[in-house]
Amino acid sequence: MNLRQTLAALPRDARDTLFMLCVIAWVIAPLVRELPVWTSVAVALLLLLRGTLAWRARPLPGRWTMHLMMLCAVAGTLLTHRTIVGRDPGLTLVILLLALKTLEARAQRDAMVIFFLAFFSMLSNFFYSQSLATAAAMLLGLLGLLTALVNAHQPVGRPPLVQSLRTASTMALLGTPVMVALFMFFPRMAPLWGVPNDTMAGRTGLSGQMKVGNIAELALDDRIAFRLRFDDAGYRPPQSVLYFRGPVLTSFDGREWLADPVREDEDEARRRFTLPAQLQVRGPALRYEITLEPSFRPWLMVLEATAEPPALGTRRPYMMQDLQWMVRQPINELQRYRAVSHPDFTHGPLEAVPALRTFTTLPQGMNPRTLALAAQWRADPQLAQGGTMALVNAALQRLRTGGYTYTLEPGLYGEHTADEFWFDRKQGFCEHIASAFVVLMRAAGVPARIVTGYQGGELNPVDGYWTVRQSDAHAWAEVWVQGQGWVRVDPTGAVSPGRVGQFQRLQAPQGVLGNAMGTVLSPNAAQRLRAVWEAANNRWNQWVLNYTQERQYDLLRQLGFDSPDWQDLAAVIAGLIVASALGGAAWSLWERLQHDPWLRLLALARARLARAGLDLPEHTPPRTLAAQALAHFGPQAQAVADWLLRLEHLRYAPSPTDPRATLRQLRRDMRQIRWPVRQSPTP
Amino acid sequence: MRQFLRALNPLAALRRQVSRWMQARLSLSDTLLLTQRNVYILPTGAGWMLALTLLVLLLASINFQLNLGYLLTFLLAGSAVAGMHICHGTLRGLTLHLQPPEPQFLGQGAALTVQLANERRSPRRAVALAVHGSGHWAWTDVPAQGNAQVQIAFSPSQRGLHPVPLLTAETRYPLGTFRVWALWRPAAQVLVYPAPEPGAPPLPPGEPRSGGTGSAPSHGRTEFDGVRAYRRGDPMKLVVWKKAAQAFASGNGTLIARDAQQPHRHELWLDHAHTGLGDLETRLSRLTAWVLQADRLGLDYGLRLPGKEIAMGHGAAQRRRCLEALALC
Repeated sequence: MNLRQTLAALPRDARDTLFMLCVIAWVIAPLVRELPVWTSVAVALLLLLRGTLAWRARPLPGRWTMHLMMLCAVAGTLLTHRTIVGRDPGLTLVILLLALKTLEARAQRDAMVIFFLAFFSMLSNFFYSQSLATAAAMLLGLLGLLTALVNAHQPVGRPPLVQSLRTASTMALLGTPVMVALFMFFPRMAPLWGVPNDTMAGRTGLSGQMKVGNIAELALDDRIAFRLRFDDAGYRPPQSVLYFRGPVLTSFDGREWLADPVREDEDEARRRFTLPAQLQVRGPALRYEITLEPSFRPWLMVLEATAEPPALGTRRPYMMQDLQWMVRQPINELQRYRAVSHPDFTHGPLEAVPALRTFTTLPQGMNPRTLALAAQWRADPQLAQGGTMALVNAALQRLRTGGYTYTLEPGLYGEHTADEFWFDRKQGFCEHIASAFVVLMRAAGVPARIVTGYQGGELNPVDGYWTVRQSDAHAWAEVWVQGQGWVRVDPTGAVSPGRVGQFQRLQAPQGVLGNAMGTVLSPNAAQRLRAVWEAANNRWNQWVLNYTQERQYDLLRQLGFDSPDWQDLAAVIAGLIVASALGGAAWSLWERLQHDPWLRLLALARARLARAGLDLPEHTPPRTLAAQALAHFGPQAQAVADWLLRLEHLRYAPSPTDPRATLRQLRRDMRQIRWPVRQSPTP
Repeated sequence: MRQFLRALNPLAALRRQVSRWMQARLSLSDTLLLTQRNVYILPTGAGWMLALTLLVLLLASINFQLNLGYLLTFLLAGSAVAGMHICHGTLRGLTLHLQPPEPQFLGQGAALTVQLANERRSPRRAVALAVHGSGHWAWTDVPAQGNAQVQIAFSPSQRGLHPVPLLTAETRYPLGTFRVWALWRPAAQVLVYPAPEPGAPPLPPGEPRSGGTGSAPSHGRTEFDGVRAYRRGDPMKLVVWKKAAQAFASGNGTLIARDAQQPHRHELWLDHAHTGLGDLETRLSRLTAWVLQADRLGLDYGLRLPGKEIAMGHGAAQRRRCLEALALC
């Protein structure tokens, strides 16, 4: 007996239970990565146990066993999370409860509890991912749960699951307009309490500090940081334009670069005016729109340099003195904004100011050989004459010709990172190169700092969006030049022209799946597939995930509301409900009219006779009606009786003609024949 | 105590009032077409639980700003609304028809047969019928444009002619979140015979035929109007073998013989006064058992009840006449 036959031969209870277990497993499978290991293992074991019990038709564990397991679950959660309140412990507990409850499905109510816990688990998937793939998986899960629910309410026989699935799909399909309407018009509001904590912050992107090795990790991260679309769809920017500015790092302790440490204690007003940005833009402007994935950081990604605040709805971005654009709250959801940038710009003080001294400090006693090299250069009269740019060029020249290589796996650096890079290892990633470069510049007395951000991007030919990934994270340098202000220098470009300048990046090692895809499909086809998939994802982001309050209000404006607010949204919803109720009423009226036309005709005839004084019960057949009419009214009812017999004939005798035509004829005749009238009582 | 408290509960009284009023406005009919007007719908406990779930999902979506969460919540809500309509549609348009109920003996669980006719092109699933308030549901699926038949358990508590009790048709298909039901008072009446006494004594002896010599047999066949215990010397053909078998089975071992010695002068009268019992109901019960016995033996018999007498006769018609008289006495 193969598996299929075995399954077909299972008793109904066992089949239903196994199906439900599969659906539950499907729903909670994506959460395994997020749950504590012991929880995942316990849940898997519990589900397996339940499946085995169902398969073998064994009894469920007793009440005390269940109590004990429940206690263990709570204790485990407490031990792991130190609390049972909050999102993560709550999730752990809900999943454990769900698994335990499957072992307790005695009454109908237990089954319902399982379903509702499963709906919660489904939602909790969205804490971690709201991608198109997740949505598709959970749609399947929802259909599965509805199928199980429908199946549970069919007590007769052994209905095939496909039949329940059909009902479930019908419900989901009918429910879709409701979903769309509510999704579009349900007023979006701010979180009612608390702010989502940023436990997810560790997962994403730039961090506002740079430890050697940080960005190398990001280089392996293929996730999308943001998407960009130029208003001019045909615009192909040179790579020197595609610099997206993130945190600027100033202070160095020998290992780690931090943003200006002064910032933390000072109030914002002072922060913004200590060293004014003094940004001046020239030349043509680039207009574009960016869709930023949640970064859980308060900064916006824009091209260098952006003078005008990006348009971000109610949020008001502000610019730091180092040209970085910030918002007050971290970006916890997909954000879309428009910005205008000018690739041609200058910023920073043109003449030396005391504040620039911050940018030449170095930690004491570190990188002695680099300091020595810098001292040697400063002593070189040729270089001293050429000024700052000569020193920069000397360093770049050294990077180009000194046997330096660009690698994602430079190994672990020791205490004197710059020394090791310049003299020993001679290999590194953009952060090593930028860090060593800035140390050398500072040692040579040139104000310099590190800028982190993203560089590059990839055009998706399917929808014309530029995709910038975490692997595009980059670190470069800025040196201060007398008369020019801050000037961007990208030392990585000197080591590896491929990293900056062309559309090539170091290929991160691909996963098993990626390799398989690469071998099965030609690289081009694989790339094409990926482009289509990402375009679909992008559409999903644009239309669904980024559907915010502002877009709701935009929609209302298009519908003709002048200054929409949430009350207008409520009004739209109420209007839709009223409209659908009216539609439903109309439909049921229509349905009633559609009710068997023959019966309606008979009922009309009966009503006429009743008006004439012959009241007969509702289900009198036409032959009886005819006999009664003849008996009651005498020969004057002959025509009516004939008509009634014809009516009967239409229904019960095989007729060669089209029954509908006959019915129409009968309806016409009904109006023409003489119906008996009520005899007025003789006085 | 609990019942006392329940009786005091004003809500319960109100509910009783309402349900009495609702039952009173139902018209009596053996065929009922369920329409918008007589099908009711209310959420079940599970329905309220789903509402709570939806609320929590919505709160989570708001608080964590999950647009996909909104989608899930609204899709689930939309499905529940669709489920509500499907649930109501399961009963709406269904035709219920009660087949004329057969008479039955008291105490024997009997069944009412109801036909469900479905005109629409899709099946109606998980329809349940029961005597209102009994909780013994009979489930069925009604195929598309077809019929189904269910037997509803019904055990009357008294003999006599009863109206068929209030029936309920219900469904919770497909999600269990709504209960859709209809109340139905069929016009038919069901006749309940008294319960036959178990282990009733043998039939009483025949009585002398009143006012006649018995010289002229009314029918062309020999009438055996009486039975008596077997006496030595009785011919074998006079033994009532069916009766004898019953007697052996019940263990008293006496043979019953037909009283052929006075063939035309004795008649079997089942008389309520000769049952030797005091209470009317137990008497009726014994008489019922006797009627069944006599009928089984194929005898002619008559029945005397207070204020009523059923003439001698035999066969199914006599049996029915007698049982009806016993039921309605």
